[in-house]
Amino acid sequence: MKKIFSLLISACIFSTGIAQLNISLIVNGQPPAQLSEWGNRREVLTLIVSAPGVIGESFKLKTEIKLIDGTVIATTDLAKSPVFIPSTTGTTILVANDVMPLEYMVFTGKYKTSLERTGKMPADNYTICTKPVRTTDYGPMGEMKCKNFYLATTQLPILMKPYNEEVLDAKKAQTAIIFRWSPVVPRQISPVTYRIQVFEVLPTQSPVQALRSNQPVLDKEILAATQYIWQPQLSFSWIGPDEDLGYVISENKSKIKEQSMRFIWTVQSLDKDHNPVTRTDGNGEGRSEPILFFVSIKNPILLK
Amino acid sequence: MMNRKTICVLCIAIFGCGHFLYAQTKKPAPFSVSGTAGVSYEGYGLHRNPSGWTGYQPRKPWNQVRFNFTPTFKLGKNFSLPFNFNFAAIPTNFAGPFAGIKKPSFGQFITNPMNSFGLNPKYKWAELQLGTQYLKYSDLSTGDIGVFGIGFDLRPKTLLFKFFTGISQQGINYVAGPPTVVGAYKRRNWMAQIGTEKEGKYLFALNIAKGKDVPTSSAPPPVTIRPQEGLVISVVSDLYMDKGFYFKAEGAQSIFTKDVATPLTLLLKGLKPFIEAHTSTITDYAAQAAVGKKSKNFDIGVMVKYLGAGFQTIGYPFLQSDRLDYTVNNRINAWKNKMNIVATLGQRINNVSNTALKAKQFIGNLNWFTQFNDKFSLNVNYNNFGFQTASGINPFGIKNVSNDLGINPTVTWAGKKIIHLISMSYNYSKYDERDVITGLTTSNNTHTTLLTYVPTYLEKEISPDFSILYFYNDVPGAKIALATISSALSMQVAKKKLRLRGQLQYTLGKLNSFSNSNNLIASCNIDFKLTKKLNWSTFLTTNYFKYGNEIIPNGANYVETTCRTGFQYRFNTKK
Repeated sequence: MKKIFSLLISACIFSTGIAQLNISLIVNGQPPAQLSEWGNRREVLTLIVSAPGVIGESFKLKTEIKLIDGTVIATTDLAKSPVFIPSTTGTTILVANDVMPLEYMVFTGKYKTSLERTGKMPADNYTICTKPVRTTDYGPMGEMKCKNFYLATTQLPILMKPYNEEVLDAKKAQTAIIFRWSPVVPRQISPVTYRIQVFEVLPTQSPVQALRSNQPVLDKEILAATQYIWQPQLSFSWIGPDEDLGYVISENKSKIKEQSMRFIWTVQSLDKDHNPVTRTDGNGEGRSEPILFFVSIKNPILLK
Repeated sequence: MMNRKTICVLCIAIFGCGHFLYAQTKKPAPFSVSGTAGVSYEGYGLHRNPSGWTGYQPRKPWNQVRFNFTPTFKLGKNFSLPFNFNFAAIPTNFAGPFAGIKKPSFGQFITNPMNSFGLNPKYKWAELQLGTQYLKYSDLSTGDIGVFGIGFDLRPKTLLFKFFTGISQQGINYVAGPPTVVGAYKRRNWMAQIGTEKEGKYLFALNIAKGKDVPTSSAPPPVTIRPQEGLVISVVSDLYMDKGFYFKAEGAQSIFTKDVATPLTLLLKGLKPFIEAHTSTITDYAAQAAVGKKSKNFDIGVMVKYLGAGFQTIGYPFLQSDRLDYTVNNRINAWKNKMNIVATLGQRINNVSNTALKAKQFIGNLNWFTQFNDKFSLNVNYNNFGFQTASGINPFGIKNVSNDLGINPTVTWAGKKIIHLISMSYNYSKYDERDVITGLTTSNNTHTTLLTYVPTYLEKEISPDFSILYFYNDVPGAKIALATISSALSMQVAKKKLRLRGQLQYTLGKLNSFSNSNNLIASCNIDFKLTKKLNWSTFLTTNYFKYGNEIIPNGANYVETTCRTGFQYRFNTKK
């Protein structure tokens, strides 16, 4: 009886000793370039840990980020990384902040520099691998799982035409104004919707103030194209006293009063769900750096 | 709390300044007021046909009232008190943190970028800055954001001491909607500058600007926006030398936390006690330099600007980083000032940090004006913008090239009673775009021709003008033609107290083989000088647009009307 009891205890100890955790890693193939953003989006990385019929033993996750050729560029500092205890229900779901806690990840060389400077790694194909390890000697408690992903910083469009501070003739502008911008880079999986907005800058406003406070005179969504021909259907006309704006151009014996209305325009790049293509860069709204253009109104008033 | 303190200080300052002015009036001191004050109303109407069709959206608030009060009181040579109060009754924010807000709290109203409440009492070299201030310290530190708060600008002799602190945005709660309000965190700002400056000679200054969001300032908090914190330190120097030579340079470092809710870390750089490093903190550099020479007839300048990929500053929220620009600018006046040439040549490299997807953008502009004689002048302009980059996994890279050529001759001749001006203009615009899958380039060609006739009567108070324009755009799959005729008439009546201007424009449009679209715009300006100091300006416009059968429902049309009217009082009490 004593012998049988000893055997049972030994079997129990043995089974705990070789406790294996099954893990399943799911990674978005093209996650946000900003690594700190991974933690804010559950869909980026999910790790399902299951411990079938095993008494729960705490574990840590050893995670590595590698290049396609296998070079390790980042690894978890296991001495500091968090400890997990498998759920009593048998399945534990972990996300990016658990699998790849940036505060405990040690990056190497240019990847460390890049992360410090930009919060991103250089555009490339990478592999993320993770495995559960014991908290004592960091010995494996399960199979290593790897997934590939591609990182590239999304570059918002550059506004091309009208170029910054271009002066447009009111007669032409009243019929049509052509807007052009560069596409989002790299090319997105689904077509980008470009929301073009034009704001009038009132005489008492600064350009960015106008953008942040006025209702746009043009607010149009363009799917996948990088040009828009706008028929403004506006009467470009200055309403205040002549002294308030403009300058005088001498042309022979006549003088023409010239006044300018100011406009600021920008493009917001949206994905298929109508969300900004990038929320982590710049203003977080996916809006390109706005630029100004002027509409020059030449009122033929003879100044005597 | 910050707001209350700031408002109290503002009230004390206004009262104090008023008291100071009153006290000073006991002594005879030169007192003057300049500037303006006014109120304007804008009404907008949109009537769409058929009823229930929503294919065209309103683009102005239905009603808006704007106020401005911007006098400058001057007492003696040394004291001035400029007011800058510009505000509107109804919030109309569409972009940025205030977008969608309908019923603002008092704090939100005060800090809304559509409203400014600024006061800058100044005595000799000391200026107190109160209320809303749009302070530009430099190109790389802070400049685009209005902050409501308190600060000073001291310039004893050649020294510079500036400091300002306040709130650039209030907390705005997230509303799922519809309509959705994205929401925002309350943002506190601090900025300081210390340096030395002699106007027109040199400037050397150290700038520091910081902004920090308050994570608990909105409930529920924004879903897509993270609370942030940013610090930028920059050194700026300008030198203006003899013979028009100049040199300007600025170097800056930013430390920016994209999400203050992320854990603190020792692995990244912070700058205690100003800012601590979180796992989302980034640190990068930016620099710009310009050197050149300016003179009456010849300018030349070279400008280089580099913004590191992680350079981010709260003072310029729309700045696109990760780029390198370099341009050469040139201006020449020749032929006894009858020829004027302005040219820019340069390149912009975007995505500098990313060797695989580096994008190059060529920039070339030329404007050449020549006044051949009293009767004939010619303006030629050419612009080129090219954008080229690899396209990641696609077989071909992105390549977009925009070319524009404009030719504009003008002929004038004078009779005894009338001066005639005929201006012709032709523009050719070509936009090539490469498909990243097939490698095929599509060309988008636009031709614009404009003819304008302006007779100027020497003995009459009327000034008409007439113009005709043809616009044609051709891209595979779409051909757009627009023909416009327009005419305007300006006149002055009632002993020049009343100025009138009316304009009528008709545009016939055609898209591919669809039926024509029609557009008629009529507008009228009335500017009435009620007294020497008081003006009443009114602007009325109506726009009728009827689509061709390119959209459903066929025959859809709309009428838009806008009425702006306002009184403007001009202070002028110089004694």
